[in-house]
Order: sequence, then structure tokens, then C-alpha cells
Amino acid sequence: MERKLMKVYPIEENCISCRYCEVACTMVHSESQDPVKAYKLEGLKPRPTVEVKGAVSISVMCRHCKHPFCFDACISGAITVDENGKVNLDEDRCVGCWNCVLVCPFGAAHPFVERKHSFKCDLCEERGFPACVEACPNRALIYDFER
Amino acid sequence: MRYVIVGNSAAAVGCITGIRKVDKENEIVVISYEDKCYSKPMIADVLVDFPEEKLLYRDKKFFEENGVTQILGHRAISVNPESKVVVLDSGELVPYDKLLISTGALPFVPPIEGSDKKGVFTFTELGSAKAFKEYIKENGVEEVVVIGSGFIGLEVAYFLREIGINVTVVELLDRVLGKALDRRGSEIVEKMLRDKGVNFVFNNTVERIEGDEKVTSVTLKSGEVLRADAVVVAIGVRPNTDLAKTAGIEVNRGIVTDNHMATNVKDIYAAGDCIECLDITDGQRKPLPLFPLAFEQGFVAGLNMAGKEVEYLGGLPLNSLKFLEKPVLNAGIVEPPDNSYEVIVNDRFEKKGYYRKAIIKDNRLVGFVAIGEIDRVGILTNLIRQKIDVSNIKERLVSLDFGLVDLPESWRKEKLVEDKTAYKDWRAV
Ligand SMILES: Cc1cc2nc3c(=O)[nH]c(=O)nc-3n(C[C@H](O)[C@H](O)[C@H](O)COP(=O)(O)OP(=O)(O)OC[C@H]3O[C@@H](n4cnc5c(N)ncnc54)[C@H](O)[C@@H]3O)c2cc1C
Ligand code: SF4
Repeated sequence: MERKLMKVYPIEENCISCRYCEVACTMVHSESQDPVKAYKLEGLKPRPTVEVKGAVSISVMCRHCKHPFCFDACISGAITVDENGKVNLDEDRCVGCWNCVLVCPFGAAHPFVERKHSFKCDLCEERGFPACVEACPNRALIYDFER
Repeated sequence: MRYVIVGNSAAAVGCITGIRKVDKENEIVVISYEDKCYSKPMIADVLVDFPEEKLLYRDKKFFEENGVTQILGHRAISVNPESKVVVLDSGELVPYDKLLISTGALPFVPPIEGSDKKGVFTFTELGSAKAFKEYIKENGVEEVVVIGSGFIGLEVAYFLREIGINVTVVELLDRVLGKALDRRGSEIVEKMLRDKGVNFVFNNTVERIEGDEKVTSVTLKSGEVLRADAVVVAIGVRPNTDLAKTAGIEVNRGIVTDNHMATNVKDIYAAGDCIECLDITDGQRKPLPLFPLAFEQGFVAGLNMAGKEVEYLGGLPLNSLKFLEKPVLNAGIVEPPDNSYEVIVNDRFEKKGYYRKAIIKDNRLVGFVAIGEIDRVGILTNLIRQKIDVSNIKERLVSLDFGLVDLPESWRKEKLVEDKTAYKDWRAV
């Protein structure tokens, strides 16, 4: 079957570790739609992780893997895969067993320990276009068809 | 073509998922003596009156959409590989072209005098969890003795404290999770559970369960007597191989399969807690009764049953102590068996509330423990799986900001740029 999936691909040469992607992600997933309130009042956390080591930096978020180990490991049924291969995590159904955190090879399924659920990149499904890609000032994140 | 699956849990759902990747047409039949497809790791939740609907792992819609017929409430009692039928306890014969056996594991109950009394329970099925809950209510149970401090025993103990019942865990070894966690990890887990009010008796075991019809106390090997209004036996599980044996399938410590999850009998596959799994950290075949592995094995079996040849990557011990306030995760080898292993520790538990440990052999990560701070540890699990050389990043493995930037650039290119994330792409490098 043809998979018609678009994903966010990071380009590490272009990343300047500004973390705009993290801020934009947190904001668009907040109630307030305000970057400061999202972090401070709502206690939200970013879904992409900007990693830095010496001169190398890169933004990493859920890869919507062709074989998602998180899906194998999910005990509650919160993680599902749609017909295009997009991997969804239903935070309300999630019981916080942390199996996805334990098996995700990219470290992209994050634990929200205080709230007893995991969270990860949802490709900004509700918005239609990933906020991180929009926010990136240096074209270090692109939204492209699955490779 | 007709696929039949005995079992209706993690491995079965994995198998359905695998079959349907390849074959959207042919019929799938699932057989289980239980009445629904619930999440087994979540059964302890019934103790705290968690709504039972929430335990559902896959609903009716899932089976309908995947064209699966469920035969529920019936036990498969034998398989005849000559005529290719599964015989049910009702006498019904279910013909198959390809069969998956995913009969799970059974609780191990050692011969303890008095274990046939009322009030003695195991805890590996929704039915047994519910029966235990009923017994607690009907008998006003106040004191429970849990035999065994494995994952299930500790989980039961924790949930009993949540509903205000006094619990004593009796353990043969000198610490909790003796086989699954390292010494420091055990110490931390024990402390968290003691803070919750759980009592422990180590280096001891229950010799006799006392009472007339119903249990009232237990006598320990040391001679000590503990009041017990109920007893939970949680010593461990063993592969349920009864059905496989009726088909003449080779069984060792569990059902023996090849890398395609096929048994030695034609057209019969096996997956999940009932099999002997290849542990990639030590190369040995052994039961590894874990949910993610059961699903993955079922998935691989399903692909192969439907004609797509795929080799299983092999498994590794993977545990998450999901009920504690502070998460406790581990994978692979957690305590080095000899001094050919390197151990790197970052223990800030007292001051900062976290503990990290990495175990390395021949410059490959073979295991880790993460307590308190667990974000991104899946990267470590994958280092174990892919046997990636960690000689330049050993100290980083226990650092909280460890990430993909620590991995070889070629790995990042392959995974992040080329998107090599299909099943076969996760083999050892
Ligand atoms: C209390 C508890 C907590 C757990 N917590 C965790 C955890 O946190 N993480 C984790 O990774 N794992 C956990 N596990 C283990 C996990 O539940 C198992 O690894 C997993 O369920 C195995 O799936 P399976 O499909 O192989 O078999 P099972 O889930 O054991 O299912 C076996 C199926 O076979 C059916 N069956 C058996 N024999 C027959 C027969 N003769 N005829 C018809 N049907 C039959 C049963 O009805 C059932 O549907 C836990 C287990 C328990 C009991
Ligand atoms: S959470 Fe991790 S394992 Fe799951 S699809 Fe995303 S990157 Fe893959």
C-alpha cells in the first residue's frame, strides 16, 4: 500500500541551536497559545529536543518510524498507527507505563511523569503544518514526503 | 487461506497487525478462553476500582476492521497437525492453514502446604485479579502476605497499600527484584515501597499457609508467623506450552521457534510469553515474558504467516516499574556477571533524585538502569540492540543530556536523513 505521509526532517548542518522549534511547539500545543504562559503556567514541555555537542546541533522529534517500537510496547492502546503510517499517541488513554520511553530509538517519546502520560510530536495535525518548521529561521527543519 | 490464532493478547494483536500488513483479504480467527482483549499489564488497576472498560487493549472495532472472528470463552485443548485443526473444549473443530500459538504464561506455584485454602491467589489474569478484589471486599481483608518480590508481587503490594491494606512481601533473596534489577536499584525501589507502607521479610519464605477453610496466617521458614487474611503467590511465571505439546511441537524452557517464529511443526508459529526467546545481550534462549517482545514476536510471526519473510531481531529484558512515583527503567544486563564488564555509574539519587548506570562489554553497551530521570533512555536501548561501538562515549551514557549527537554521524544520516526506520533497519551494525 502507498503511504502518503509527510514528516519533519532535520538538517543538522543548518541547525544553529536557537531552540525556536521547541518554543513554537510548546506554544501551539498550549491552551493559552502564549509561549511564556505555555511553559510557566501550563508547565508544558517541547516535543522536539535540540541537542548540542561542540559544533554539532540538531533538533530531534518523533520520526513516525516505519516500524514504531513504541507501538509494539504500548500496553494501553494509546499509541496507534494510521493508514499512512503516522504514529499517534492519545494522551488521555495513556497510563504512563513508560514502555515507549524505554524503547524509542530516538528518545522522542517523552515522559510527563507528574501527569502520568507520555507525549511526542503529532506533526501539528490540528494546525495542518508543523509549527517547528515554520519557526526555524535557518531551514534546519523541513516538511517533506516520507523518504 | 485461513489464519487461526490461539490467544487474544499482546502477541495475538501483533500477529493480526503483521498479517494485515501483507494480506488484507483472508480470514483470521482468534480463540481465547477469556472474554475480551484486555491489557494484562494493567490488571492490578482493578484493585483500586479503575473502570474495567479502560483495561480494554483492543475493542470490538479493531477486530471488525481487521476482519477477525473471535471465538471467546472457549479453550483450545489440542491441535492436530495432520488434519490441521484446533480442537476446542466444546468439541468444535477449527480448521487452520496457518496457526499461531500465543498461549502466554502461567503463574508458577511452588508446592506450599495449605496453598489450596480459600484466600490464596495468583495474579496473572483479569479473572484472578477480580476474584482477589471480590475476596478482599467480602472478607474485609486487612492483612495480605505477598510471596515473591518480582514485578507483579511489588505491583500488587503497591496497589494494596493504595486501598489501605497492610502488606508484607516475603522474599527468598536478600532484596527486591533480585533477578531483574541491580543492587542499588533494588535498594531505591525498596525504600520507595517502604515509604508507601509496604513491609518486607527477606531471606525467608512461606513454609505453610494456615487456616481452616480460609487462610488466616502463614508460617515462615524462620518459624515466624504472620497474620494473613489473604495470600498472593507471585513467584514468577512459566511458559504455557500445554497446547503446543499436543501438536508434538518441540518445547524446551518454552516453545522452541526459529528466527521466523516458526515451530518445528509445519505451518505452526508461536510468539509471546509461551516461547523461548533469543536474548541478544547474552545470546541465550530463555523465556522473556514481556509485553513489547510478545507483540513484536507476534508481528514478525504474522508477516511470515502471510508469506513475507522477515527475521526476528531478537529480544532483550526490558522493564519499567510503572506504578511508583519515580519511574524505574532498565534494559539488558543490569549486574555484571564477571569482571570482563565495565560499569559506569551516575548516582545522584539522594540529592537530585536520579540514578543512572551503564554496563559495557567489549565496547558495546549491554545494559542500563535509569531511575528518577528517564527521558530519552530508549536511545540506550537501541545502542544495546544495534550493538553500536560506544568506546568514545562511555561516560556520556549515564549523563542526562546524552543524545543522538553522541552517536556516529553516519547513524544520524541513515536514520534521520534517509529515514531507514523499517523493521530490518534495526539490526546490529
Ligand atoms: C500483573 C502483571 C503486570 C505486568 N506488567 C508488565 C509490564 O509492566 N511490562 C511488561 O512488559 N510486561 C508486563 N507483564 C507481562 C505481560 O502482560 C506479558 O508479557 C504479555 O501479556 C504477554 O502476552 P502474550 O500474548 O504472550 O500472552 P498473554 O497476555 O498471557 O495472553 C495469553 C492468551 O492466551 C489465551 N489462552 C491461553 N491458553 C489458551 C487455550 N488453551 N485456549 C484458548 N486460549 C488460551 C488467554 O486467554 C490469553 O488471551 C505483566 C503481567 C502481569 C500478569
Ligand atoms: S515515538 Fe519513537 S519509536 Fe515511536 S514512532 Fe516516534 S520516533 Fe519512532
